Amino acid sequence: MSDRAVKVALRGFSVFHGKEQALRSLTMSIPANRILGIIGPSGSGKTTFLRALNRLNDLSPDIRAEGQALLDGEDIYHPDYDVVRLRKRVGMLFALPVALPLSIYENVVYGPRLSGVRDRKRLVELVESSLKAAFLWDEVKDRLQTSGMRLSGGQQQRLCLARVLAMEELEMILLDEPCSGLDPISTAKIEEALTLLKARYTIVLVTNNTKQAARVADDTAFFLMGDLIEYGPTQHLFTVPQHSRTSDYVTGRFG
Amino acid sequence: MRVPPKYTQVLAVTLLGGATLLTLVVLVFIIVFVLTKGLPTVSASFLFTVPRDMGRAGGILPTLIGTVLLPLLALVIALPLGVGTAVYLTEYTRATRVTRMLSFGADCLAGIPSIIFGLFGFIFFVVMLHMGWCLLAGGLTLAIMILPTIIRTSEEAIRAVPNAYREVSFSLGATRWETVLKVVLPNALPGIVTGIMLGIARCIGETAAVIFTAGSSLRMPTSVFDSVRTMSVHFYILAREGISNENAYGTAAVLIISVLAVNLVAYGLMHRFISRRTR
Repeated sequence: MSDRAVKVALRGFSVFHGKEQALRSLTMSIPANRILGIIGPSGSGKTTFLRALNRLNDLSPDIRAEGQALLDGEDIYHPDYDVVRLRKRVGMLFALPVALPLSIYENVVYGPRLSGVRDRKRLVELVESSLKAAFLWDEVKDRLQTSGMRLSGGQQQRLCLARVLAMEELEMILLDEPCSGLDPISTAKIEEALTLLKARYTIVLVTNNTKQAARVADDTAFFLMGDLIEYGPTQHLFTVPQHSRTSDYVTGRFG
Repeated sequence: MRVPPKYTQVLAVTLLGGATLLTLVVLVFIIVFVLTKGLPTVSASFLFTVPRDMGRAGGILPTLIGTVLLPLLALVIALPLGVGTAVYLTEYTRATRVTRMLSFGADCLAGIPSIIFGLFGFIFFVVMLHMGWCLLAGGLTLAIMILPTIIRTSEEAIRAVPNAYREVSFSLGATRWETVLKVVLPNALPGIVTGIMLGIARCIGETAAVIFTAGSSLRMPTSVFDSVRTMSVHFYILAREGISNENAYGTAAVLIISVLAVNLVAYGLMHRFISRRTR
């Protein structure tokens, strides 16, 4: 992977939940314009890892990070780093789809409005292009003014994806088990969207479903108890894992 | 001996239903009683003319105006302070011993009899600050009186906003203040309005604290430094001093109807606001 552009580089990066160490001194790089799948049993630090990359962990006062996390070579944990701008560049999709109690339209333009986009024509364009990229446009184009909360779970998750994609500064998308509560068709739509989106964005996908990682991830990392056990091209990891714990997990013998 | 569930069920429904019915009957009785005794007095001239002969004759226009201005002034002062404090306590500080003490203090203040606030307002605003009995002194005193209620109800309403909304907002690059403005306050609004309505109701119904601080002048107020009389105070004085029972009940009827109207309007506005966001 050394020949690819590196989007994020972690060097001795640790995260602590109070006194407990949730991530143990990770050193790894995330290549640009690929999908990185993160797998591992619950409690292995997957979500902590993801929320460290857009510093959403900052919201919990007892979580603290150590070491370096470089986004395009800049340390995102540097005291002078603009965390608001970071979150506009590194968007996130949560496990539970949360449509804000606003119209579909207002949900999508939430990010652009914060960035100061006022031009109505531009906002309408953003809404259409983002909803199309999230494969939701055809289902909602006639009712953009109805509340996002009226959509089904699968539609809400695609609305959340569109809301992230509408941010013009977006460079990277973090997804935290985005399909855990969704039906197979919605899941397929999200997965299809992701494979198209990696041309423009770097994607990190945490999933409890190893098959999903095998389907969509270019690279896969296996976490266990806060340690990065194995990391490599998805095909290698699933066919010729280097560690017995990896092979046990991907073949479903534990976790 | 065990009573069969069939009978306990019937008993429970009877007792609970009876309690509800009794409450309703008392409530309806009071309203009907006051309205039947008061409404015959109420007319356009009763509402829109000034009282004569201490309120024995004439209308109630100045007290109507006082009843609008005094709670409004109290609210204008208490609302930003109260909601601001609630936002600060919930969004900008962690739950520490200090914030818990502040909340506890607010709870205690909310339970203090209004006469205590009235005395404080009299000594501090009316005497020490030389305001005299006036709208401003009354408004400030009532603001202090309803502040704890507004803080606590706003605090509860803000805490009830799902944390997931905040996380989404932050993850889309919102600052804390933008999150408060765009996500927290709009979703806490129904609860905050409940607090406001409780506060307004307390102000409208208040007599002791008002007499001590805003006085009981029957003249039309022309500035915040004029003394005013609210409908509650007017009713109290008319009835207490036996000036005019008809006019007292007339005032009470207007009072009840206006409180009802304020609640209905607030409820309607809120309903429209919520349904616009969720439909």
